[in-house]
Amino acid sequence: MKPRLASAAVRLLVLQGSMNHERLQGIGAAVAIEPLIRDLDGGQNGQRYRAALARSAGFFNTNPYLAGVAIGAVARAEHSGAPLRQVETLRSAIKGPLGSLGDRLIWTGVLPVCASIGLVCATLVHPLVAVAAYLLAFNAVNVAVRWWGLRAGWRSGIAVAAMLSQSVLRRAVKFVGPLAVLSIGVALPVAAEMLTANFDTSVRVGTAGVALATAATSWFLMPSVGAARVGILALGSVLVLGWIW
Amino acid sequence: MEPNTVIGLLLWGTWVGLDLASIAQVMINRPLVAGTIAGAILGDAQTGLMVGVVLELFALDVLPFGAARYPDYGLGAVAAAAAAVGAPGLFGLGLGVVVGLVVAYAGEIGIQLIRGRTSADVRRHRTDLEAGDRSTIYRLHLRGIGRDALRATVLTALGLGLAGIARFAHPTTVRTAVALSAVATGVGLGTALLGGVRMARGSRASWTWLATGIVAGTIWVVVR
Repeated sequence: MKPRLASAAVRLLVLQGSMNHERLQGIGAAVAIEPLIRDLDGGQNGQRYRAALARSAGFFNTNPYLAGVAIGAVARAEHSGAPLRQVETLRSAIKGPLGSLGDRLIWTGVLPVCASIGLVCATLVHPLVAVAAYLLAFNAVNVAVRWWGLRAGWRSGIAVAAMLSQSVLRRAVKFVGPLAVLSIGVALPVAAEMLTANFDTSVRVGTAGVALATAATSWFLMPSVGAARVGILALGSVLVLGWIW
Repeated sequence: MEPNTVIGLLLWGTWVGLDLASIAQVMINRPLVAGTIAGAILGDAQTGLMVGVVLELFALDVLPFGAARYPDYGLGAVAAAAAAVGAPGLFGLGLGVVVGLVVAYAGEIGIQLIRGRTSADVRRHRTDLEAGDRSTIYRLHLRGIGRDALRATVLTALGLGLAGIARFAHPTTVRTAVALSAVATGVGLGTALLGGVRMARGSRASWTWLATGIVAGTIWVVVR
């Protein structure tokens, strides 16, 4: 049996293409797992293939960068003839921990670090070089994590939970979390200096005041209201006052 | 704006919109990237970078976790660059951010609309899905991607239109323009600061890392 891991890895790039409120990533998960289950008994017209595809198209949601771990593991479990109940349990049990791990690793770890790298680079080199640095830094991790995840999932099959508990990702999260906080700290004064370079001192002081007031008030507002709405409200007020005054 | 530039921005905006969730998530949707490239298409990468940086600070408030609601700051950055490039001095930054935030918010609404449509599509084909019909699965998936591409193209077009209107009706006084830029920058910095504080919450070591970062960044700025 030769797994079509490369084909599945490419399809995982569009995992969220048909994201919906009914099954979240379910349809995309079925598209991604399809090359890995073609070899099930009976082939593409067989009952096992269709049943596995139908299961994969059910409700599914996890971190897209680590989804390959679940897809690989479930495909391997289908191949190894694990009982139906065990496959379904694996599929529903793995997505939560993977989501949590992936969100901490990528969204609140690698991404803020790379954004900060981009910001700092922007003060040193041409903007397009800064953009390239941002994208290269992020996607080096992106590609490595996605490919590792799919292969590790396929290798582990039903034992994927044990593999994850000892994986390098657990240690990486402990390292990348503080690095992300440190990076945001570095980026704040760098961004402030870059954006206010053309302001005179009084405007800079005003900007700092707005920043502190935003952080203080938004502590209560932002989880429900969101930064975009806060920004629209604040800037809309300035525009209206400007026109009136 | 030249027709080639408009076409370039529409193509870029569509790709940026798809990158938010549907295709690859290689982070070209991040405002710093989307705004800078849009600025380069318009002939001024530096201005694109500036509005991109402000919107990047806003974007640190919410991260695109799968089922969460999040504004499309990438599409916002494309529109923001279109509004800011060519505007005189400080007029561009604040104006660009206003346009960018409105488009980002419209992007959030657009995402919910297309997910609702895809949900209805999925419900209509439940029987085929439960039978494991491969062609139905592929069709639903492609239609979902198509809807998102349409969302991104339409919102980019609307954003470019809004940028044109905003530049035509921009605040006429320097005082308003400066206030707009200062408030946009201030709210962005405050949002990013809050993002850092939220990440550091609950751990004394994290607070130390955040403070260390701010001190290191300040030293970097002073030394430079």
